[in-house]
Amino acid sequence: MAEPEADLSKKYDAVIIGSGAAGGMAAHVLTTHGLQVLLLEAGKKLNIEQELRSMEWPYDNANRGGLPPGSHSLNHNEYTIRRPPYGPGFEKSKNLYSYIGNSDYAKNIVVNERDNPYTGTNYAWVRARCLGGKTNIWGRLALRLSDYDFKAKDRDGYGENWPISYSDIAPYYDKVDLYLGITGVKENLPYLPDSIFQRPTKLNCAEVTLKQGIQKMGRVLTQYRAGVTTDGLKHNKYRSRCYGRGACSRKGGCDIHAAFDSPTGLIYPAMDTGNLTLRTNSVAREITVDPETGKASGVHFTDSQTMKDYTVRGKAVIVAASTLESARLLLLSKSRLYPNGLANSSGHVGHNFCEHIMGPYVAGQATDLVGKPPTLDDGRPGSFYLTRFRNLAEKHPKFIRGYGFEGGSGSSMFPPGTDSSGFGASFKEEIRKNQGSYIAMGAFGEVLSRYENFVDLDPLVKDKWGIPSLRFHYKFGDNEHRMAEDMKETAQEMFEAAGLKIIFVSDRVLTEGWSIHELGTARMGNDPKTSVLNQFQQSHDVKNLFVVDGSAFVNASCQNPTWTIMALCWRSCDYLADQLAKNEL
Amino acid sequence: MSAKDPIDLKQDRRQWLKTSATVLGAAVLPLSRVSTDALPGESQSAQASSAGAPQAAGGEAKSGARFFTPAQHTLIEELSETIIPADSHSGGAKAAKVADFIEQTVRESTDDQQKTTWREGLRLMESMSQHYNGKSFVDASAEEKIAVLKVLSDNEQMTELPEVQFFHELKRLTVRGYYTSKIGIHDELEYKGNRVLMEYVGCGDPTPPTT
Repeated sequence: MAEPEADLSKKYDAVIIGSGAAGGMAAHVLTTHGLQVLLLEAGKKLNIEQELRSMEWPYDNANRGGLPPGSHSLNHNEYTIRRPPYGPGFEKSKNLYSYIGNSDYAKNIVVNERDNPYTGTNYAWVRARCLGGKTNIWGRLALRLSDYDFKAKDRDGYGENWPISYSDIAPYYDKVDLYLGITGVKENLPYLPDSIFQRPTKLNCAEVTLKQGIQKMGRVLTQYRAGVTTDGLKHNKYRSRCYGRGACSRKGGCDIHAAFDSPTGLIYPAMDTGNLTLRTNSVAREITVDPETGKASGVHFTDSQTMKDYTVRGKAVIVAASTLESARLLLLSKSRLYPNGLANSSGHVGHNFCEHIMGPYVAGQATDLVGKPPTLDDGRPGSFYLTRFRNLAEKHPKFIRGYGFEGGSGSSMFPPGTDSSGFGASFKEEIRKNQGSYIAMGAFGEVLSRYENFVDLDPLVKDKWGIPSLRFHYKFGDNEHRMAEDMKETAQEMFEAAGLKIIFVSDRVLTEGWSIHELGTARMGNDPKTSVLNQFQQSHDVKNLFVVDGSAFVNASCQNPTWTIMALCWRSCDYLADQLAKNEL
Repeated sequence: MSAKDPIDLKQDRRQWLKTSATVLGAAVLPLSRVSTDALPGESQSAQASSAGAPQAAGGEAKSGARFFTPAQHTLIEELSETIIPADSHSGGAKAAKVADFIEQTVRESTDDQQKTTWREGLRLMESMSQHYNGKSFVDASAEEKIAVLKVLSDNEQMTELPEVQFFHELKRLTVRGYYTSKIGIHDELEYKGNRVLMEYVGCGDPTPPTT
């Protein structure tokens, strides 16, 4: 799969840093406009089908699908009692991964923590350095934001509004839906707009029980809106439609690419235009600046394998390295003109860092399903989503903003219920008879955007390539903790209303970062004094610099961000191409 | 033992630890079957490994360098089968070769604590079986085996005790080994997935034919 050597002597129309959802989308849109684009990815190009092996049985795997000996993935307890950098204390493990890297199918997609240290407050930072980044293993929940999110300040007075409205981005959500495929059911909810859905998945009986049980409370359970093509995509030869094969809940991606990933969904088609050059193993160190014009001139990077340094020039530079890596790169790009880092005259780069709080959940059982024949429940790309209900029509007395629940239920390849007590014949029989009756859901809530939650550069610690590490100054606040209490109470209340037997209710909050939805470190806004980017994700300070990933978010909302990242990026890249054509960058 | 007569584990263990200490002091293990084996956890490979000798590579390692002695392997078979037994529906841990999975997992582990948990745990199971049943675990009846593990299961929250830690570790690896085996997935759970289906299955739908 060797690519032709990238020509680093020519000046590209655009140089993109990062190949995940944002970088892939930028590559797709800009090459479609006919621009000559170079895409730099810090990680390697994996033979991804060989990594994912979605149809492999555990008994055919040397480690039954688990990590090989000498490898370890951090667990919640370790994230709680230890401080970053993670590495010291784990000398026995040659490879140390974030919590998501706990399977044989995800281990090569996430980074080795030892090579990529960070410091400061506790944070479960999941990074995937390879072509496609985290889209190779994402959870696929693909939700839209609405004006309840874009104009949240108008509703509760907190924070800032986005510089766009739903009507600005709606056409781009449509484009993303049609180009990449999404499954779901129309619900006509003003706070969670519908997409242009392909064939929906189906709810199982426990989910129907819950859906009907909470209807009288005015609450909505809908099929998991998954960024998965269920009808297929005629324009994309790299992706198959979903065949409901099962084991979709296994940590790892989709080897037939029915689930969206950036390489097959965006990058390979972009390469087919002839306008895209890809260079992997390219670790960006700095965005270079022309001292005469003050504009970005290109990217200085190190080849991760040869350790050789290179500089490549571009008319525009597009940062899409992920929310925290993009902030790090801007802060690293200090110069005489920009002593606080690039695009940072506001001092807001790295700040207003926000995400989703996770942890509180309920697990229960639809007892009428006990002993019924097994059903295929994990052949669906997702189970269900229970939509936000707080602070829509009525104000909650204890907190602002909202949360939704992601749920799962039914049989899976590895059975639920094995953590129950006991042993022997009854233990075995209960696991068998109960396997299809379980249902559980956990909440994702908005963490408020706060200036005092931020990242900066560690003055001492560096990564394997000698690049200063990121240092975290980040904690959940009172609003989040009050929301978490409510999550637990409402989870319990809804299971009770549906007549589900409750097995366990938890209010334990997971370590910061667990949602892998970090956002906001280079936020958009109309005021250059309090924001980094304008509504087209263009730097207020440097006109030919765009930051097109989650760092542009003004608030986190409670919806999963990937679909919004791609819709925003598409809109911004259309603008960029137009400006470049008019010679206005 | 009867249900009316609950075990006080912390009280009881003083006695069987005494027994255990006596036996260990005589360097004779209460393993009835293979008295010529190396001591548990002190098999040839463990000695070679601790002396810094390189591990045999590839297939050789699998056959030649076992962590557990044959007697210990038999003991693990019996322990795991007591956790997940054969029944009229499907085979149990023994048929699913869970002991082989445990052997591989512990042998390849880089966690010395895990190795210690297994070595010590197997000794403790023997001591407990001698104490409660007057015979080795592998020679005990199914009911007698259950009685030993029930003492630990009934006290499973006492995780400061090494025998309780071992019980959790035994159960964890037995469950993992069994439900990732052919018998566990296909015979026991009758898992429906991992094959091409033409339509999603919803509430009330029959399982559609596969292609």
